Amino acid sequence: MTCFVQSVGVAAGRWRLPTSDVNQAWGRGGGRGQSAVCGPDEDSLTLAWQAADRALDAADLAPETVEAMWWGTARPPFAEGPSWTQLAAVLRLAPATHGFVVSGSSHSGIDAFVAALDALESGRIDTALVLASDAVNPAVGGVFEAIAGAGAVALVLSRVSGAAVVTGAGSTWAPVLDRYRGDSEDETRETYDGRLFREQIFLPMMAEAAGGSNATRWSIPDPDGRLAATVVKRLSVVDMPPDTLATLVSSTARAELGDTGAAAPWLGAAAALTEPGSLAVMAYGAGRATRFDVDVTSPVPGADRVAADLAVSQPANYAQVLRARKRLTTTGESVEMAVPPGSAMFVRGNRETLGLLGGRCVDCATINIPPSIHPACVSCGGTKFDEVQLARTGTVQTFVINHTMPQPFEAPLPLIVVDLDDGSRIQLQGATDGSDIAIDTRVELVLRRYTVERGVPIYGWKVQPISAGQPIEGASA
Amino acid sequence: MSWNRVAVIGAGLIKMGELFDQSYEQMAKGAFDAAVGAVDLGFDPSLIDAAFVATQRGTLWGQEGIGGNTVPSALGLAGIACTRIENACPTGSDAFRVGCMAVASGVHDVVLVIGVEKMRDKSAEEGLLARAAAGHPIYTRGESAPVLFAPFATRHMHEFGTTREMLASVAVKNHHNGVLDPYAHFQSEVTIEQVLNAPPVCHPLHLLDCCPQTDGAAAILITSAERAAEFTSTPVFVAGFGVATDHPYLHEKSTFVGLPATVLAAERAYEMAGIGAADIDMAEVHDCFTITEILDIEDLGFVEKGKGGIASLEGDTAINGRIPINTSGGLLAKGHPIGATGIAQLTECWWQLREDAGDRQVKLNSGFALQHNVGGRGSGVSVVNILTRNP
Repeated sequence: MTCFVQSVGVAAGRWRLPTSDVNQAWGRGGGRGQSAVCGPDEDSLTLAWQAADRALDAADLAPETVEAMWWGTARPPFAEGPSWTQLAAVLRLAPATHGFVVSGSSHSGIDAFVAALDALESGRIDTALVLASDAVNPAVGGVFEAIAGAGAVALVLSRVSGAAVVTGAGSTWAPVLDRYRGDSEDETRETYDGRLFREQIFLPMMAEAAGGSNATRWSIPDPDGRLAATVVKRLSVVDMPPDTLATLVSSTARAELGDTGAAAPWLGAAAALTEPGSLAVMAYGAGRATRFDVDVTSPVPGADRVAADLAVSQPANYAQVLRARKRLTTTGESVEMAVPPGSAMFVRGNRETLGLLGGRCVDCATINIPPSIHPACVSCGGTKFDEVQLARTGTVQTFVINHTMPQPFEAPLPLIVVDLDDGSRIQLQGATDGSDIAIDTRVELVLRRYTVERGVPIYGWKVQPISAGQPIEGASA
Repeated sequence: MSWNRVAVIGAGLIKMGELFDQSYEQMAKGAFDAAVGAVDLGFDPSLIDAAFVATQRGTLWGQEGIGGNTVPSALGLAGIACTRIENACPTGSDAFRVGCMAVASGVHDVVLVIGVEKMRDKSAEEGLLARAAAGHPIYTRGESAPVLFAPFATRHMHEFGTTREMLASVAVKNHHNGVLDPYAHFQSEVTIEQVLNAPPVCHPLHLLDCCPQTDGAAAILITSAERAAEFTSTPVFVAGFGVATDHPYLHEKSTFVGLPATVLAAERAYEMAGIGAADIDMAEVHDCFTITEILDIEDLGFVEKGKGGIASLEGDTAINGRIPINTSGGLLAKGHPIGATGIAQLTECWWQLREDAGDRQVKLNSGFALQHNVGGRGSGVSVVNILTRNP
């Protein structure tokens, strides 16, 4: 096979929801564990961006050299619409980059991987970006609601070289119904009968797809928190050499994040890519089970920061989560954005706003933001500009924290003026509550969902302090 | 030598407040009657040949952009020339400036400048706060009115050691002045502690650092300097004015400790009036927030840059201080019915120069009073008008 893994990056919804908090609300006792949940300004696209940004950074790869991007997610931000292109714009991919969004089940993450694998093995391309993200709206009141996790993983794949190489595969399918969401439905429903799913669908299909692998380490999706361990136990009994034990490497991510669906296979494997050796990555979704074997020859760039990246989180309670998922809404009027999302202003402005572009004055070098509204330079009146990609790090010049906001805004909302490291200045919302912002704070720009306007998600960059544990070298430019 | 080609012959306003019982038209009529009634030697409204109507947001009372230019109908003046002026928070002061130019040009003889604004027919959420969703979908999203000024407070505090107590002293002074002004929206004193402990609105500004949303109207009658004696024996002349602009986005500001539009507008007005800041006996300045007054008194040249906070705390800007500021109570206490604000400020200057300000009367030395507004996107427009009693 000629598919190498060059780097990996991960991301998760920033909130951690205790399972017990959901259970308590529905009169069910106890419940251990937690799940990762998106904050109000996160979704499957922002998580995919975050993972991709980290993977590209770890590979030290300029985004414009990515030839193709495949993105698998059970919940693209548009059921039909510009999910792929908006993600390509924020990643600043080249105009000739191709690829697609694959959706439809929690198997879609591995489907995206297969698409990339085929293109690389055919020799058609040399470098691909594969993304898998999951951030569903689980049905309210069920068991799945407490364990559905929001997460993402990104791989930079190469036909030429990399620290790990794909060595084998196996798969099977059956026309069965488990986790699903009907056409026009917003909520993902859980499995009809847990025991039926376990005994007649999941365990036998995973065993079949796993057959033939001699990997010692396994990443296995886990819809109920116990199934992956059962698969591994049966593997050890049936397939492994007598004195070897298969180990489950995905249990850490599962315990931290919950069931991350389409992202689970490679997200579960990501931290294990630091250690040389064999590794099997399994996927399950909507009646399909798939396995890929990987031989890790040296630590995969990016794998060493997986644990730290997943640890950055905030606790959240069930009410906050219901509000963020629009399951708990206020009465009263919501203030409409003055410009409709499909209007000419967005057609003109999406690329420069999502791609974070400025116009650098040829005469005085002042960077005017955004270019489309500056036919003349704000400093010297010059009219010739070079389009530049703005730096993504900077220093706080000044800020406010807005406490008085009409719907759909949520207070406290920081608005921050940042002097970016390329000498430009920009004003953006804070991605935090503002308590960690002061004049001169070093900050980075991160992609977030600003709002959902007339049903359309509106993405833009927000500001947060550069956290000590995760410098983003190379992110400027 | 001051410009002095135009004279103010009458001015007046209605009691500011939440005027739920008055329509836009009724407020306009009230202000108009007050201005007409203030003309010393009597006034025949049929002399008015043009009106300039200052209304900033027709949408706040359900008029999507057609409101304003038919105000003469409500005043019994249907048929006269009328133009609505909109220029952000300086809407009223700019309508006055344009009216003065119309008179000075000789095109119109007697002009009514009238500001009317309904701020409370819509709820706060659907009114000015809805501004947070206007403008650029990302680069200004969340930018409600306090966001235009609060970043300056953050930076002013950082660079000059300005404190929240200093900001609060502006609110304390202006509420005190408001108690002395029967037209003020608020008629009660506040203490430093009350300002400090008020709920946060937009950090670092709290509730009493912010002006209220106020309904109101004010009107001024102007004519040429030559004709002034027909109407009054104590005319007030327009010594000079200036307007200036700046970039529309906060991220395009060259500084966060001052407003360049104010500096430029003031330079132009001082030059036209042939005077400097030291010649001003009192000023009505734009104090939509406490920090704004501190920026204003620095940018207008009354105090050194960076010293506005301490000057306020030490009483320099009180009615009996070195340079009395906002003797009417300012926007903080009198209120900020946007289109009416500038004209109400000019009315206070007119009273002060005629020594009609009662308990609020300042001591006149040079005989000049200054009126100032700043606002709009990125506080990108400022107007300064200077009045004088000197012929």
